[in-house]
Formats: sequence, structure tokens, C-alpha cells
Amino acid sequence: MDLNTSSSARLRAIPWLLLALALFGPVSAAAQTDVRIGIQASGTVKSPLYLARFRAEGGAQGVADEARGVVRRDFELSGVFAVADVDPLREKLTPDPTQTGSVRVEGLVAPAAAGMFRFTGEVFDLGTAESVFRRSYPFGQSDLRVVMHRFNDDVLEALTGERGIAETRIAFIRQDGRYKEVWVADYDGQNARQLTHDRSLALSPAWAPWGTEIAFTTFKRGNPDLYLFDQKRGASYPFSTRPGLNTAPCYSPDGKWIACTLSRDGNAEIYIISRDAQTARRLTRNERIDSSPSFSPTGREIVFTSDRSGSPQVYVMDTEGSNQRLLTLEGKYNDSPQWSPKGDKIVYASRHDAVFDVIVMDSNGQNPVQVTYDAGHNENPRWSADGRKIYFSSSRLGKRQIFMMNPDGSDVVQLTQGEDTFNPAVGPRPRKQSTQPTSG
Amino acid sequence: MGVPIMSRSPSIATLALAALLAATLAAVGCSSSKKVSTTPPPPPAPEQTTESEAPPPPPPPSSDQATEGKTSLSDAFFDFDDASLRSDAKTTLENNARYLENHGSAKAVVEGHCDERGSVEYNLALGERRAKAAKEFLVSYGIAGVRLTTISYGKERPFDSGHDESSWAKNRRAHFVSK
Repeated sequence: MDLNTSSSARLRAIPWLLLALALFGPVSAAAQTDVRIGIQASGTVKSPLYLARFRAEGGAQGVADEARGVVRRDFELSGVFAVADVDPLREKLTPDPTQTGSVRVEGLVAPAAAGMFRFTGEVFDLGTAESVFRRSYPFGQSDLRVVMHRFNDDVLEALTGERGIAETRIAFIRQDGRYKEVWVADYDGQNARQLTHDRSLALSPAWAPWGTEIAFTTFKRGNPDLYLFDQKRGASYPFSTRPGLNTAPCYSPDGKWIACTLSRDGNAEIYIISRDAQTARRLTRNERIDSSPSFSPTGREIVFTSDRSGSPQVYVMDTEGSNQRLLTLEGKYNDSPQWSPKGDKIVYASRHDAVFDVIVMDSNGQNPVQVTYDAGHNENPRWSADGRKIYFSSSRLGKRQIFMMNPDGSDVVQLTQGEDTFNPAVGPRPRKQSTQPTSG
Repeated sequence: MGVPIMSRSPSIATLALAALLAATLAAVGCSSSKKVSTTPPPPPAPEQTTESEAPPPPPPPSSDQATEGKTSLSDAFFDFDDASLRSDAKTTLENNARYLENHGSAKAVVEGHCDERGSVEYNLALGERRAKAAKEFLVSYGIAGVRLTTISYGKERPFDSGHDESSWAKNRRAHFVSK
């Protein structure tokens, strides 16, 4: 094994923990003294990451290069690292205080038994020259991408205390002639495949917290009904087919409830429906539109859209329906709110000057910040599982496509191409125990 | 091991500067957001130009959807983000009511439609309000409610695929399909 010979992969309490915090605001001056990580401006921190060409044994250089390409894109998309390409280490690193806050990633791919391979990745803190992460992953050709995504997420967890999102998946709606169908893809838009084949209108997908179920609206029986797609069975089944609208689903964090819009009582109101018992509890009562509910990460509050004041605005209420109040104080037309995974922010779409743009504000409605500009309509914002990214749809290039960016609007990346594509929905991180909740 | 040359680490100052610049630009842009009153806003300019007089309804669509159900019922049109009946819409619906009076067995689906602006979810609710507003007008005129069912397609089934006001005006409608 000719990865660097330094001491075993010891995870220290690294000041990198700051990175996760720093993404949403200036780091407190009290924080861990002697380390500066990257450049900090407007809440964005990028740490230099020197990614060595992966070494290979037994003629596996092609596999090694392919693996490196996957994780290189992951590191870049993470929003945490500024990636630079370097040659592999040839001798032991020496501490370089001027490089404090920079890391170096080395990799080795070696053949294993039965056509398998083994990837070993190691991360060095260039300031101390110490190994801060090291792990081996067996893999076959078919799961190379999965394993490298896992390595990326492991490295991010080791360095920042917050796992990455490369193992998560997204869903979205794509037009197909007169039809619209649910699609799923990797977090970066790769491996896209069509999930529904209903030859109807499918809309507004929402991912269950346990990751194998997607709620969505479909017109396949004529009415806008809520269906649940079970990815294990590869089939969907009706969830709410009440008269009128059954739209805008959102799972509660514990998966026991699905908040949605029903109009069975006359006009669009927000309900929560028990995932298992399918009993509905009404939360809003007024003559105007109430729609697009999104749970807070604690499950105790719901942010939603209402035009009760005359135009759509973002409101919040307790999950019991009480304490309803206006959150957005700026803008004439605000819609599609979603609570951030950490609970501190709410993202939404705002119409101004005849275009839609994505706005991020504090969850109390303060400090709205426009993060998309001058690029068509930007709508359907959805947080990534770690809150480090925002997915959204944009018409900046013509037909709508799914894009991803940092919460401050930087690093915009297009993830889909082709037919009109919108309504991104973000899946959860993989869980060790992928269990559905029981009734409760 | 033992190869004497250690790889050189290229400077990444350029990368860091770019990130700084992008973030700064974003921050500068943000500060330009305007304070806006939270009172109900007027509809946007294009729709306002004809607000006091009954505007002529847009020409009937020529798409196959409009002729799927043969009907002498006409469509009622709406302003942006609005489900209230304009005077031209009321005139259209009065004509529809007379037709339904004269064709006592006729039944219809009232489809609510929206233009492409705004979210899928909000427009599904808005389209439903338009369909119900049209139905309620006919019911108040004396047409039996059981003869009229409503459904909203939101912005998902536009009659005109254009991206300007002339297209949007045609897409904001309560569309009648005979059953």
C-alpha cells in the first residue's frame, strides 16, 4: 500500500465543523482560533481541495480514473471545496502552516477477488500534514458511482460534521408530448429514469422520509388525485381521491402525515392526512386559496401559501392549524415556500417585474434575499438534504430545466436537459434502517 | 515510495477570488429588494389597460381541445391571478345560461385554466376557483348544479403555448365541454 505512510486515519475534532455553520453566516469570532478555512464572503466558504490522480494496481488505471472523475464532480458540486488537480504524493507530507485549511485527497484502486475492486481514499490536512480520514470501499463496476458518492459524503461528514448529498436522489416532472410523468435521478441529475408511465398529468412529487415512496398528484382517473408511488413494488396506488383538488403533498418529518391541499369542502384548504389511516384533518378555513404546505424540520409548524390578503403570500401556522400569520413582508406575489432542513431558513419563489426569482429568508420572515437574477423564471425551490444547496427550475435557457445552486445563489449548475422539466423534489439521505412508520 | 519529486500544489488563489467575487455580487444584488406594502396589489399592467370597460373576449381557440366536446357553450376569460368574473365573462355566461335553459338535457364540464405564470399548485387552486365562479354564476341564473361539474387543470393544459399576454389571455379561462 503506497498511500502516504502517516498515522492511521484518526478523526480529530477538526475546526472544519465550522464550515457547515459558515455556509449560512459569518463564523463567530470566538470560534476555534488558529484556523482560517478558505475565503469567506457573503456566507460562502470554499476550502481548497487538492485532488490527486488516483493510483491503480493490476491494470485498474481506467477504473481509477473513472472513479476519480465521479468524486471530483461530487467535491465540486458540494459547494464546500475549490478543487485543484495534482499528481499523487511521492513522499511523506510535511506540515505547511500556510496551507492550513486546505486538504489533499489521495486514492488507490486495486483489483480484488471475483472481478471486484477496492478503492482506498485518504484525506490529509495540509496544515498539519496529518491524515484526517481514511477508508476502503469494495465495489464492482456497476456500483462505482454509488461508492464514490459515498466516499464524497463520508469525507464531507469527516471534515464538516455534515454528510454530503451525493447519495441522495431527486424526483421531478418531465413533459412527454401531452403527458407529464414523474422521473427520478441521482442528486446531480445523472441516471435519470422515468418512474410513472400513466400517460396522464403527474405533478408535484414529494419524497417520503424513508426514501422508497413518492407522493404525487395525478389526473389518471380524471380528477387531480394524490397517489403514492412505491419504488420497491414499482407501482403507485391511490392515497386521496376526494372530490376536487388533491394536490401539493408534503410528508411530515416523521412520515406519519402528508400535508396537502384538498378542496372537498368548497375551496382549496390545507389538510394533514394520516399516511396510514388516511383520515384528514383540516387546518385552514377561509374563502381564498391555501396551498403548498411544507413542514418545519421539527414537524411542529407548517409554512404555506395563501392569497387571503388578495395575492399569494407565505404564511406559517402550527401543525394544529392555530396561530396562522403572514411571514412575507416584501413582494406582491410569493409562493412555493419550503423550510430548510436545519429550520433556520425558508426558501420561496417571488414574482417581481414580471419574472419569478428564488428568495431565501430567515424562518421568521426577516432578511429576504433574492438569490437568482436576470435569468428567466426561477421557481419551485427545494433544499438539498443537507441545506447546502437549493434545487430549482429555471426557464433561463428556454424550456424549464432543473438547476442547483448554493443558498447564496452562487455555483448555479444545470442538472437536466431536454423536454420541459420542473417540480424538483429532494429525497432523504439513505438510512441504515429503511423502515416505514407505523400508525400513530 | 522513494521517488524524490513531490508534486507541486498549484495556487488556488484564483478559484478563491472567483468565489469571493460571485458571493459579493450576490450580496450586492440582494440589497436592492424593495419595500412593498402588504395590501392587495392591483393586477399587473397588461391586464389593467382594459379594466374599466368590458374587453372583447379573445378569439375562440382552434385547438383540438376546444372542439373535443361539441358545444355551443362559450368560454369565460379572466384577469391574471383573479377568479372574479369580468363583465365580458358575465355576458358570455348569460349566453351559456340561455343555451342551457333551451337545452334542458345538456350537461357540461367546466374546466378551470390558468396562464403559465406561477406554481403548479397555486394555479390548480386558481383554476378551480375560476371553474367554480363560472358554475356558480350559471347556478345563480337558475341552471341546476347537477348539470355542471368542475375540474381544474391549472396551467397544465394551455390552449395557446405562447409566452406573451395575448397567449396568456386565452389561457385564463373557464372552458366548457359538453358531456
